[in-house]
Amino acid sequence: MSATGTVLRAVALARLREQPLRLLATVAAISLGVALATAVFLINAGALNEFGLAARKLVGEADLIVRGSRAGFDESVFVELAGQPGVREASPALELEVAPLGETSALRVLAIDPFRAAWVQPELVAGLAPRLLDLLEPDTIVLSAAAARELGLGAGDRLELRAGTSEYVLKVLDVMPEAAYPQRLGVMDIATAQAAFGRLGLVNRVDLRLEPGADRERLRERLAELLPDGVSAQTPDVERNRAAEVTRAYRVNLNMLAMVALLTGAFLVFSTQALAVLRRRTSLGLMRALGATRGQVELALTAEGAALGAAGAITGVLLGQLIASVALAKLGGDLGGGYFEASSLAAKPQPGILAAFFLIGTAVAALGAWAPARDAARVEPARALKAGDAERAMDRVRPAWPGLLLFGAGAVAAWLPPVGGLPLFGYASVALLLLGGLLLVPAFAARVLALLPRPRKVALGTAVAQLKGSAGLAGVSLAAIIVSFSLMVAMAIMVYSFRESFEHWLNEVLPADVHLRVGSASDTANWSSGDQAIIAATEGVARVRFQRQQPVLFDPARPPVALLAREVGEDGEGLPLVRGADARLPDGAAQAWISEAMVDLHGLEVGETFDLPLAGKTWRMAVAGVWRDYGHTAGAIVVDRAWYIAATGDAAASEGAIWLAPGADVETVIARIRSRFERGETLQVASGSAVKEISMQIFDRAFAVTYLLEAVAVAIGLAGVAFAFSSQALARRAEFGMLRHVGMLRRQVIAMLAGEGAMLGALGVAYGLALGGVLSLVLVYVINRQSFNWSIDLAVPWLQLGALAALLVSAAAVTAMASGRAATSDSAVRAVREDW
Amino acid sequence: MKVGGAARGLAALAGAALAWLVAAVAPADEVRGRHVAYPAVVPGHLLEFPRDFGAHPDFRTEWWYATGWLESAEGETLGFQVTFFRTRPDVPQDNPSGFAARQLIIAHAALSDPARGRLWHEQRIARASHGLAGAAEGDTDVWLDRWRLRRDGGRYLARVAGEQLSFELALEPTQPPMLNGDAGFSRKGREPGSASYYYSLPHLAVTGEVARDGRRVAVTGEAWLDQEWSTALLDREATGWDWIGINLDDGGALMAFRLRDASGGSHWAAGSWRRPDGTLVTFGPDEVEFIPGRRWRSPRTGIEFPVEWRVRAGALDLELLPLMDDQESDSRYTTGAVYWEGAVRARSADREVGRGYLELTGYGEPLRLPGSSPP
Amino acid sequence: MTADTPVLRLADVSRRYSATAPAVLDGLDFALAPGEYVAIMGESGVGKSTLLNIMAGLDRPDTGRIEVDGRDLAGLDDDALTVLRRTHLGFVFQAFHVLPYLTVRDNVALPLDLASRPGAEREARVVEMLEAVGLAGRAGSYPRELSGGETQRVAIARALVHRPRLLLADEPTGNLDPRTATHILALLRGQVHAQGASGVLITHSLAAAQTADRILVLEGGRLSPYAARA
Repeated sequence: MSATGTVLRAVALARLREQPLRLLATVAAISLGVALATAVFLINAGALNEFGLAARKLVGEADLIVRGSRAGFDESVFVELAGQPGVREASPALELEVAPLGETSALRVLAIDPFRAAWVQPELVAGLAPRLLDLLEPDTIVLSAAAARELGLGAGDRLELRAGTSEYVLKVLDVMPEAAYPQRLGVMDIATAQAAFGRLGLVNRVDLRLEPGADRERLRERLAELLPDGVSAQTPDVERNRAAEVTRAYRVNLNMLAMVALLTGAFLVFSTQALAVLRRRTSLGLMRALGATRGQVELALTAEGAALGAAGAITGVLLGQLIASVALAKLGGDLGGGYFEASSLAAKPQPGILAAFFLIGTAVAALGAWAPARDAARVEPARALKAGDAERAMDRVRPAWPGLLLFGAGAVAAWLPPVGGLPLFGYASVALLLLGGLLLVPAFAARVLALLPRPRKVALGTAVAQLKGSAGLAGVSLAAIIVSFSLMVAMAIMVYSFRESFEHWLNEVLPADVHLRVGSASDTANWSSGDQAIIAATEGVARVRFQRQQPVLFDPARPPVALLAREVGEDGEGLPLVRGADARLPDGAAQAWISEAMVDLHGLEVGETFDLPLAGKTWRMAVAGVWRDYGHTAGAIVVDRAWYIAATGDAAASEGAIWLAPGADVETVIARIRSRFERGETLQVASGSAVKEISMQIFDRAFAVTYLLEAVAVAIGLAGVAFAFSSQALARRAEFGMLRHVGMLRRQVIAMLAGEGAMLGALGVAYGLALGGVLSLVLVYVINRQSFNWSIDLAVPWLQLGALAALLVSAAAVTAMASGRAATSDSAVRAVREDW
Repeated sequence: MKVGGAARGLAALAGAALAWLVAAVAPADEVRGRHVAYPAVVPGHLLEFPRDFGAHPDFRTEWWYATGWLESAEGETLGFQVTFFRTRPDVPQDNPSGFAARQLIIAHAALSDPARGRLWHEQRIARASHGLAGAAEGDTDVWLDRWRLRRDGGRYLARVAGEQLSFELALEPTQPPMLNGDAGFSRKGREPGSASYYYSLPHLAVTGEVARDGRRVAVTGEAWLDQEWSTALLDREATGWDWIGINLDDGGALMAFRLRDASGGSHWAAGSWRRPDGTLVTFGPDEVEFIPGRRWRSPRTGIEFPVEWRVRAGALDLELLPLMDDQESDSRYTTGAVYWEGAVRARSADREVGRGYLELTGYGEPLRLPGSSPP
Repeated sequence: MTADTPVLRLADVSRRYSATAPAVLDGLDFALAPGEYVAIMGESGVGKSTLLNIMAGLDRPDTGRIEVDGRDLAGLDDDALTVLRRTHLGFVFQAFHVLPYLTVRDNVALPLDLASRPGAEREARVVEMLEAVGLAGRAGSYPRELSGGETQRVAIARALVHRPRLLLADEPTGNLDPRTATHILALLRGQVHAQGASGVLITHSLAAAQTADRILVLEGGRLSPYAARA
């Protein structure tokens, strides 16, 4: 057997035999860290894949896609495009969102000429065959498998929709095979759709396939001159990116969580390994004294770390795959966030990703073992064999400058702008601040402990003395818990801040007694002026404020922006303004109030002007103010409704806010309104408080996973503390034995341990709170802002954090006590006098 | 009990007989679909030209169908086929949408390339809207995007612009139209409604260009053009047909066809023979016989087509040999049918007497045209 | 309790660990008079540790009776035994066992702190003991700064700082070189006598045993006086 093997056997495997349970726990911790990171990554990848797939099916083989606003443009544009030199095929389409009765979410409908579409989206059209000619029948629709499932319909069933406030019925001709399109979709013939939904003469999308060898860019420029305002030709990449952007923010959240999981796991591994090596210093010194070289010891320990890592990583990736599959199956690819439906998402095992995380987990564990291994191998054997030397080993960690440097770098990174719309420097900042903060822990611990007075009571006094004397060791023990606790604090503050801001915002945007919507946010359903008058005249209604909402393609390279036409008070009163209440505006431009996202994404500011394509014309608008908006991730523009009606002649409305007359009962008025409309029971009407409550529930649900992951992070941190304590407890068996001999009562020993645990816990908690506070600033002001393009006000959940801190400190005390229990048993006491 | 049952049975029989009688006797000048009333094809209708060179949009189905032999400038022998179909789907006619599919245009093009051993084939389908596809009345002018067949100053110009295959051909008539059947009223079966209006233009002189995969070559040759329109074409029992159009070397022309039933035997047949002096002989069902010879099996669809034939029409007795075996067209995407359409040589007494095209439909799946049996 | 009451008395004490193996202690009798310093010798594994455990109240015999200062240990619970140890007993171990993170002063003062003796008295006593063992100037040092012998002196100081009636020393010189060992043994004996305490010295070294007043041998589960072999 090689020398390294001998060392390995003597040092590492002994560990396995002696404390199999502890070893198992270490492996379990590594496993958990890897599992979490893997699961999050798989879910993320699955989500992206789903989107990519859907986008690809819709884009098909198009070389250029011509789009305008949702309302559409004249179909003569399509005819002109079809005749353009260089254009081989042109496929017209109407993209709509219709409102199926009884459903809360809209159904996306693509109305095409299947014969032309076959040249551009062959896979999609193949999914329609053999029913192509049947689709020419009026009032027919083909559903994707996902849509059929969700609506509970099959071939031959009726699909009831709302258009305006009347009902419309389509016959489901067929259900497409699963592979044809992964998300919810309905496909209709364009002639049928135009007639059914009042879009005669309009299309809103034309897909082009070009002659081979045609110059795409040149053609695009030529088309730009030909096409009317608000209509432009884009390459398909833009389409794909647009789809992905919708979920970008949500995926950012997931990435953060993945980072938390990995970091916590990594630090746990490191601290566990470090302490394990430290504990075996004596045996290692012995091995060195017996003739093992430095290299052999180092290699043996690193190999041990890698082996543990491999064991943990392999169970971790399998567990992660399982978690991802279950999460996707139960909650959908958006984990309940409601972004899209996961149909075939999933659980397809992805060997590449699993292998990658396996390697990462193993590498991290090996690295975590290597650093202390190197250190242990270096020390002179004689020194290692002496008691009390463990403390000397930690001397090296004392210097503060590396920590300060990293911390500083992290602070600098926080000021840097986003890259490609992602807060990459923000992430880097968090990582640097965390790492720097960690490196400063031993210095911090040493200073604080030095200042601590020594209490009179012997148990506590001894505890304090112990801590004072081993500040470096304390640092390592604290590492895992500080990482997880500070991240948890940071996330808790961020979520709480968000929640508070969101709640305040809700109160501002939903100020009325009753809020109503005509249905899901669809293009085809809205109230006419007549309908609005009916609502306003209902008994019990004192005042109604109507709003019209529609998407506007502000910048063709980005998702459409929401245009809201509503009553706006003087100086933007009634809007949750962030700035610009009394701006001076240029003449000749109509007033518009933009959301914060518009500022970030489109570079607009108060006082500036911009062009708004609306109803076939271009309007010059001036930014009168910036308001906070959590409702539209791509941006929103508010214009005065009176101006809007004058400009477009469109007096329809899709939302309304009602203030009741004094003494009127909410439920009664709601019932009255419903009774005024055919199918009134499908109107979405609710009291303001009900809507706010539901919104908060949705919010909480969306963050449910965050809370769960935080809890897991804390648990992992606690595990780290437990390991630290138990390692030390065993090493201090002799001390405990001696103390018992000398007359310390058993409960005094335990109290001493509890005191140590509590103080260490308190130290970790205090530091974690401070560090977490700093991290939360980055999360709130940098990462959140750059990811979602909206602002949050910082709010600290003192009560929650205080309770958690108390919980952690007690948990630390309990853990310390529990780990010391074995060391204070009678047999242990007797063993103190055995020759080691 | 018995008596009552018998009485009921008798009554049922009487009812059915009455219905049949009514159907047989009542004049049927239109055929009603679910949404559209199509005019029926009736005897005694005078064909007028150039009016009837154009489209007849009220009828359910119509096609212009050109086939022929070509010689390329490089000495290759090729066969070509270009067909434009117009069909009027049974959909409500009151949809105000500009995309309303009141007429569908389908186009096929094929080139038999024996040197390569393959058939080049393209197909397209589009609705006639926005002027992007359509079939005009008054003279031959049918188009689908960049494909077009039109009559210009007596000449036919055919343009096909496919992905791999394209033509630009001019077809010059050398003889007047040949009215098939009874002055153009061509019966296709026993039921009175199974008929079409049908004329042929044999011996068209062809010049032009053919491009395969971008490689252009000049061609000349001789072609045959059919135009046929109908509402109900096939009897219930008919599963498909075999058709030939032969340009005879002596200046004459022979058109013959037969409908097959499920057993593969003849259900109906007819033919027209223009003698070299221009006189026309019309053949009835008993005078035309199609006898299949060697069969060829398609490696793609597995369908077996007889590719060699013996056709007897009146006194004529011809042997037909294909230019090449694989001239199968899979047009399921546009018409739902797989058919064999190929250039054939006609021989009599071991001597070549003419060249033309042979069309075989309904092998594999029985041919189903819209409205092929009375409602 | 009279002046004649033995500080420690074992009567007919038996202890066995398994039914098949011979008993470690078998009807053992032992009495230690006040002020007496006794050495107990025996080969390794013979049961010296067991005997010490029973004397210290850390183990209970199967049969027999143990009295410390006339008090029967049988009736005392764990806490009471611990308090007894704190007040009546002092220990010196082979492996020193001083707390590495406490100063010499604090190590020595441990028994006093555990008994909650008031500060001034504690200080005085600690200084006294340190002087007695010759470490007066090292009160503020940490154990890792001391040599083996010095560390054992700290242990001795700690063992006697609270004026116990009985000092138990288990192979106190096992980890020391011969010269230091001699010094330590002399110190031990001197301090035990100086305080008027009794002492039990467990050792396998005859030379060490000879520093005691009386030598006993543990053999066959019983104690018998040492007989020098020619």
